[in-house]
Amino acid sequence: MSRLLDKNLSRRRFLGLSSCALATVAVGSQVKVLKALAMTGKVSEPTAMTSKDVFTSCEMCVNKCGVIARVKNGVIHKLDPNPDYIKSRNMLCARGNAGTQAVYDPDRLKYPLIRVGERGEGKWRRASWDEALDLVMKNMNEIAEKYTRAGMMFASTEGFQEHFFLMLAEAYGSPNTVRHATLCLSSNIQGFGATYGTNPNPDVLNSDYIIMSGANRSEAFITPDTIDFLKGDGGQRKVVYLDPRFTKTAAKADEWYPIKPGGDMAFILAMINVIVSEGLFNQAYLDEHTVGFDKLVPHIEPYTPEWAEGECEIAAADIRRIAKEFAAAAPKAVYYQGRRSSFFSNDTQMRRAMAILNAIIGNWDVPGGMIPSGKIKLAEHVYVAPWYDDVPDRLDKDCVTYLSEKDGSWKHFRDRVIAGEPYPVKGMMVYKQNPVASIPNRAKTLEMMKQMDFICSIDITMSDTAWLSDVVLPEATYLERMDPVESIPGLLPLLSLRHQVIEPLFEAKPCLWIMQQLAKRMGDEAAEMYDYTIEEFVEHQLSLLPGAREMLDSKGIYYENATPVYGSSFGKPLKTKSGKIEIYSEKYAENGHDPLPVFTAQTTVPQGKYRLLVGRHAYFTHGTTANNPYLHDLMPENTLWLNAGEAKRMGLKHGQRVRVKSPVGEEVLALEATEKIRPDSVYMCHGFGVLSKEQTKIYGKGGCDAALLEDEVCPISGNVAMHHTFVEIFPA
Amino acid sequence: MNNKRFAMVLDTRKCIDCKACTVACKAENHVPLGRENHRNWVTEEHLRGKFPLLGQSYTPGQCMHCGNTPCKRVCPTSATGQNQDGIVTVEEHKCIGCKYCMTACPYDARYYNEEIGAVDKCTFCAHRIYIGRLPACVETCPTKVRVFGDLNDPNSEVSRLLAKYPHRVIKEEMGTKPYLFYLI
Amino acid sequence: MASFTKRPGELLWFSLLGLGMLVGAAAALMVLIKGHSHMYNVSREIPWGILISTYVFFVVSSTGLCLVSSLGHVFGIEQFELIGRRAILLAIITLLTGFGTIAMEINHPIRMAIYVILSPNFESPIWWMGTLYGIYLMLLIGEFYFLMRNHHKGAMTMGLLGFVAAVTAHSNLGGVFGLLEARPYWHGSFLPLYFILSALVSGGALISIIVYYNYQFRKIALPARYPQFIDTLAKLQALFLMILTFFVTWKIIPGLYGRPPEKFEATMALLTGPMAFNFWFFEVLIGMLIPIGLLLNKKFRTPFGVMLAGVFCTVGIFFMRYDLVLGGQIVPMREGEVNLVGGLLSYSPSLAEYAIVGGALATCMFLYTLAEKVFDLEMKSH
Repeated sequence: MSRLLDKNLSRRRFLGLSSCALATVAVGSQVKVLKALAMTGKVSEPTAMTSKDVFTSCEMCVNKCGVIARVKNGVIHKLDPNPDYIKSRNMLCARGNAGTQAVYDPDRLKYPLIRVGERGEGKWRRASWDEALDLVMKNMNEIAEKYTRAGMMFASTEGFQEHFFLMLAEAYGSPNTVRHATLCLSSNIQGFGATYGTNPNPDVLNSDYIIMSGANRSEAFITPDTIDFLKGDGGQRKVVYLDPRFTKTAAKADEWYPIKPGGDMAFILAMINVIVSEGLFNQAYLDEHTVGFDKLVPHIEPYTPEWAEGECEIAAADIRRIAKEFAAAAPKAVYYQGRRSSFFSNDTQMRRAMAILNAIIGNWDVPGGMIPSGKIKLAEHVYVAPWYDDVPDRLDKDCVTYLSEKDGSWKHFRDRVIAGEPYPVKGMMVYKQNPVASIPNRAKTLEMMKQMDFICSIDITMSDTAWLSDVVLPEATYLERMDPVESIPGLLPLLSLRHQVIEPLFEAKPCLWIMQQLAKRMGDEAAEMYDYTIEEFVEHQLSLLPGAREMLDSKGIYYENATPVYGSSFGKPLKTKSGKIEIYSEKYAENGHDPLPVFTAQTTVPQGKYRLLVGRHAYFTHGTTANNPYLHDLMPENTLWLNAGEAKRMGLKHGQRVRVKSPVGEEVLALEATEKIRPDSVYMCHGFGVLSKEQTKIYGKGGCDAALLEDEVCPISGNVAMHHTFVEIFPA
Repeated sequence: MNNKRFAMVLDTRKCIDCKACTVACKAENHVPLGRENHRNWVTEEHLRGKFPLLGQSYTPGQCMHCGNTPCKRVCPTSATGQNQDGIVTVEEHKCIGCKYCMTACPYDARYYNEEIGAVDKCTFCAHRIYIGRLPACVETCPTKVRVFGDLNDPNSEVSRLLAKYPHRVIKEEMGTKPYLFYLI
Repeated sequence: MASFTKRPGELLWFSLLGLGMLVGAAAALMVLIKGHSHMYNVSREIPWGILISTYVFFVVSSTGLCLVSSLGHVFGIEQFELIGRRAILLAIITLLTGFGTIAMEINHPIRMAIYVILSPNFESPIWWMGTLYGIYLMLLIGEFYFLMRNHHKGAMTMGLLGFVAAVTAHSNLGGVFGLLEARPYWHGSFLPLYFILSALVSGGALISIIVYYNYQFRKIALPARYPQFIDTLAKLQALFLMILTFFVTWKIIPGLYGRPPEKFEATMALLTGPMAFNFWFFEVLIGMLIPIGLLLNKKFRTPFGVMLAGVFCTVGIFFMRYDLVLGGQIVPMREGEVNLVGGLLSYSPSLAEYAIVGGALATCMFLYTLAEKVFDLEMKSH
């Protein structure tokens, strides 16, 4: 008989061995947990701070919604909406919630970096702040000597601390500040400004009829419009939405038309035609409040709905009906002008047409209509900048009719830098902006950067622009610093104060500190411009408003009216030359532009090509957030939207990798065959196809739209026009 | 004492599929990174029609805290339980990772959380509602699709909505008696 | 008596199997270090993969061996008494290997041992699975003990209880899948019945293999009764296989008729979709048609032919379990899932999973062939 069985060894030994194995399993899973916690930053140094709530406002996009940050043991646990923040109405979108990941993202910038190796190689060495700042100053001085002070350009995007950065340009003595506005809504500001003297706000919540051209509010968030334009319980609101794509807004709108790109102006002019020809306007009102209506009448005659049908591919009967419905709902009707007004080079005139349409139904400054912005006044920051002799005018002076002295026109500026005319610009300081990904025609941006002697970027992640810089300085994120009070204008003007939520991680520093250090190196005069703490600055700002600080500290917001104030412009002249609403624009006429919008057809899409469209998703903000860990999970890469019928015709399959070629670039990405887009158009989401390897989650994924887009421009405002590009598609 | 029965009513007419609820939930409940790891989701329903006549709806979802829970029934160690107020819970230390509850759930509401070493899912943010706050997804929603409350209270908003409007649940034929109601 | 005499090729045999076991052990170690999510290809939507189907394969083998051997010393069919010891031993080994496989699948085996006792859920088919298989294991061990001691009365009692436990445990395992209303492809009374039938097929197949192994490789002169036994077994096996074919046909028909939602998609995945090759080649051709052909043909009903049919059956059953487990999960539960191929989710085992399965199979074969050398597994007549 078996010795083994007699000793009964086999069973017991097996159990013994198995529990060892099982014990190892238990330990193994613990190791995993610890590693994961360390990665997410939840295992951090214990600080003296216990659980607390901090009021701040979000910086994940332009909206600045109110946030209550919940902090536990020095770690930001969650960002919750602020119920008292009237602008955001107690909500926080996906990006707002992902703000903690901007702080705890392993890819974020941690230390000052100085480039070793070639630009774009991605080889850095960590430097101390002193060394990095000294190097920046050294280069800035060299550029001032070799060229002029205008040889240094300062690129930035709006933000609560941007003011300090722009001051640095003044301290340094360069006129060349270039901001984001001409990549965004400059033509809107121009078109509406020329009509009303200001760019007003549509009163969406109280409006009964809203027409939107693009302005994909369900995906391109603007608070509170994104919330307000949807019908509430028993709501009356009707939304007509024009977009070549079936976006989420199209799914929510009452009527969606896949308008032919370039046809918006035709649609609007036809609507004006109907309103004028059928007498759906109030003559007395127009006589009192506007100028130029008499010139509009003959001008608008040829722009019939029947004509417009050919240009916008919306049935004439629908245009006529919508125009009548619009007029019937007036004055509680708005043609929503949106923001990103970079469709075509005639965009300013198209927005002018929009403004005129709004004007003639009399919706100015009344409930449900177009309301001029209110703004709460803060005490001005008075400072004296050093004076420099012989500094030329800004590089892109006179490139277009109306150039903002502060914003410039990025497209023209870049062209002139590359040309070296009228003078060389060889140094670049970038704050909170990513020109490489944001300006159309990336090849040109790369060319511009190549010829720079020195580039310094201040950012929170290794954006493509930072990737190509010589010095990278890590800014503290919005949750790691206190910011100046921002007076947010609009329908519901308010003040927002960012309280500091946690101490900055690693060696990140607020912009103010960085500017102070640079200013010190520039000299006493410059240093004096920054001689205060942020607390002192805030105190000064609020000195005109007793009780504001208490409200900001206790509620996270300061406001004077919880609902819009109407009629604030009545009894006073508007900021136009005539003081009235200018249907006919004399100043445009004087400057050689059409005083009334004249329709120009856009180039037809050539056979075998497609028009490349730009658009938004609710998950991302422009080109900077696709690498955020939480947001990345929502959409790991972008795809090229192509109409399903077209894809079939070309023998391309959904999910297949395709090569997209435009006159200025080529990208490879996956195809998304969908019914949701016009057959003559394609679309890809912004922010992918990055060059920076330190955006580890998205590097190598998707394609870059900026690399494909050509850089047409509006001659009135200098705004880029991004829907002109035609692309070809090939299997990859 | 009157027991509560928590429920959520969703008006999907307002849902814009912005995924704020998904990210808020991930942040609030320490859901690990990764596309598979989520306690809630928004489903992009089948596109209706053909270009240019198109329509689409968006349907948020999560654990339905069912009245007839298939998950609780199959858990071998009773790690999955259910409170008196209807919230279906998972006792982490009892979970053996057999994933039977995951195959038993018709809604794909559960996932295995490597960091806590147990199956995880929506808990109606019990830690928030028991101190009088709202679940993170409800609070954060930009268009206020979600309403949360006590169905046993006839005067609550959820009761009022369900009485007033026709509504549906998902996979009714499974007999799970879900407590997430969608207004039609 | 135990014989440790060396035979040519034996060293190679054990070395190869040992290597397989090492590979499996290495994979298991990696899994413990790196965690399941990094090493396995199971996902949120497909949480049960090849490790589960292999576990089911092992326990169906164990159950089958027990059932077929019960025909001998429980139901008194003399011919089947021959293989009593061998069958029960292999039943124990396959069961233990099965447990080892599933231990690598669940995340916390120690917690399981604690909480199935502290906080059992009597409504849970998996709780019953653990309990019943535990009881079944005890009974098998007891039965083996009595068989080795030639204690026929004890063997018969244990055998009867073991038979009951085997049927209960294995049909309950069918119920683990079949009681899930959420999975139309699995739901219903079919799976418990089908599992028992599968077990009978599997048992017969494995017995024919181990008989041949002893006959051919160990070259021990088998008693004259064996060829007759093999002939009877073959005919019985053919019968079971034909019934199995009938069952499989009637599993498919309700999946197609009227196109019931989810069930239809899963059935089509099996017939014409991603699992079609598995189904038609491995399940039908290798698992059913070829064995039936071999076994019904007198010319092929030799120990070799029957063994070959047995091998084919066993392979077929391995794939049957895999396709069953996968089939119930590849239809997504929610609309709007991304990464669908032809409307279905995808899964294929990772290297680690293959390694563990391979290691488990190697362990099973290693242990059995080693035991053959250690124990005297011939049944003594009584």
